Amino acid sequence: MALLETRNLSKSFGGLQAIDKVSLKVEPNTVHGLIGPNGSGKSTFFNLLTGVYQPDEGSHISFNGIDITRSPAHKIAELGLARTFQLLRLYGELSVLDNVMVGYHPHTKYGPLAPLINGAEVRRQDKVVREEMEELLEFIGLAEYAEIPAAELSGGQRRLLALGRAIAMRPKMLLLDEPGAGLSPVNVDNLMSTIMTLKKRYNLTIIVVEHILKVVMSTCDTISVLDHGQKISEGAPEFVKGDPAVVEAYLGREMADEDIRAAMDA
Amino acid sequence: MVFLSRIADLIDALASRHRLLPWLIAYVMLLPLPFIMSTFFNSYLIDLANRACLFILLAVGLNIVKGFCGQVTVGHIGLYAIGAVTSAVLSLEPGGFGGALGFGLPVWVSIPIAILVTAFAGLIVGLPSVRLEGAYLALATLGLGESVRIFIAVTPALGSSTGLMMIPAPSIGSFVFDSFTSYYYLVMTAALVGIYFSFSILRSATGRAFQAIREDTIAASVNGINVIKYKLLAFVLSAIYAGLAGALFAHMPPGYLHHNNFTVIEMVTLLLMVVLGGIGNVWGGVIGAIVVTIAYDQTKDLVVYFMDRPIVVQPLVFGLSMVLLVLFMPRGIGGWFEGVLRNRRFIKRSEEKLGGTARNSQS
Repeated sequence: MALLETRNLSKSFGGLQAIDKVSLKVEPNTVHGLIGPNGSGKSTFFNLLTGVYQPDEGSHISFNGIDITRSPAHKIAELGLARTFQLLRLYGELSVLDNVMVGYHPHTKYGPLAPLINGAEVRRQDKVVREEMEELLEFIGLAEYAEIPAAELSGGQRRLLALGRAIAMRPKMLLLDEPGAGLSPVNVDNLMSTIMTLKKRYNLTIIVVEHILKVVMSTCDTISVLDHGQKISEGAPEFVKGDPAVVEAYLGREMADEDIRAAMDA
Repeated sequence: MVFLSRIADLIDALASRHRLLPWLIAYVMLLPLPFIMSTFFNSYLIDLANRACLFILLAVGLNIVKGFCGQVTVGHIGLYAIGAVTSAVLSLEPGGFGGALGFGLPVWVSIPIAILVTAFAGLIVGLPSVRLEGAYLALATLGLGESVRIFIAVTPALGSSTGLMMIPAPSIGSFVFDSFTSYYYLVMTAALVGIYFSFSILRSATGRAFQAIREDTIAASVNGINVIKYKLLAFVLSAIYAGLAGALFAHMPPGYLHHNNFTVIEMVTLLLMVVLGGIGNVWGGVIGAIVVTIAYDQTKDLVVYFMDRPIVVQPLVFGLSMVLLVLFMPRGIGGWFEGVLRNRRFIKRSEEKLGGTARNSQS
């Protein structure tokens, strides 16, 4: 059974059809790539899945067999769907450790009023969580910055922290919105290998939006291509690479075949 | 400054022995304050200290909603008014002076009821925060807060222009808290307990959820935080502080309440405390409350003569210092000191680490 399934997912902003009847299935334990030119609706698609936007009438999203079409964002997060943002959206003034501890929030066992009623229990549980989160920071290589405000990290470290915060949610599925944006090629490779290690370690299913096609081609099991809000192609990397519809969406009709190959391999 | 960091280190050392030890020591140190004041200065200062304690409660409470959770509210003083008037009316004898309402309940019953009523009012003040942000939210809450004051001012049952008088003082057995000194122990304890619980909230998943909402609402919701629930909770918690402060204010000697205590100017003063101390910083709010209460008291009769016309300068001074603070010290005293402490810790840890590797390379 597919872990995530969308049927006829649509979203329009006024007259603009940002997402147009997209149906998609993501199998458990796979890496699913989502590509498309700028403005093709990839980020909107993520925002619909995670409840940041409400989809239009007739849409249907199910996650792990549960209908989440109309669920609020925090409910979807509790079910185990985590994401990162293209612009990271870290909690800048909070420490690195607090950032990942906020990520752990859905698993907090005490109620919001517990600090006033049962402080001892809060401290006991927080200690356990803190140790667990410190271990996670150790794993992604940010342990020594644990007390630094997130805003003071470097660009690459921030990308790692965004990833760590999503992992702290103990998700079943992870949506990565351009994890490699702004990183040098070497750093992108490092980041992708970190992501793959995390996938194995935590048994994750991943959907990744990425512009660096080389990364997508080498890591994804399946790729879906969006253009103008519609799904224009889907399949294994090799298939998508050769699909004329994809080539046209990216480069236009006029280009010669060898130029296209060169651009795709770059 | 080194002195301040020393104190911080000392507090850390004490806290590592027992979590409550620094609190206990602070409490014991605050006990003889009224006697020191009345012996070396004058007993009027005790009244000032009492008011400072009430403002500490208000500032610490406001800090929860504004500092932790990032919701700009200007209606806090209205909640303070609700707490004060509710407790006063409930405890006044029926058929009191000037047509004021009275239910004759014991003070220890009226205060908790007042807190509950204020908490509910806090929920209502918080409702606009579900849809509004920033300046729009400020305007909505300002409207709510000010309408409370006007309602009190035009309702004879709640005191209207004459105010509520002869509000009974709390008592335990035959001991009555009707002097500045005895009341000091009541409000000082309340303030310290309030500060303690504010830290408990901050250092829990609840506090982290508040701060996440402040930093990035969308990221917070995607991290599984029910944003609406936590925003309203922040308003309710801060209202509990305001309700307690208000109720304690009502029963404070001389037991007199007037709607002039709840004007927009008071709200600005309260905001100044939080901003001066550092938005989001608990100790900052406490220091801000003390400093501003003293400054307010010292400048309230300050008059400058310009071409033989008297000019009351206090509103100008307060407004101007607010502008200057936001410009040059946006994170307040507390934020500045927090930064210093954090850098010190980081340097210390780096040095330890470097020291370790240096030793390794020698051997």
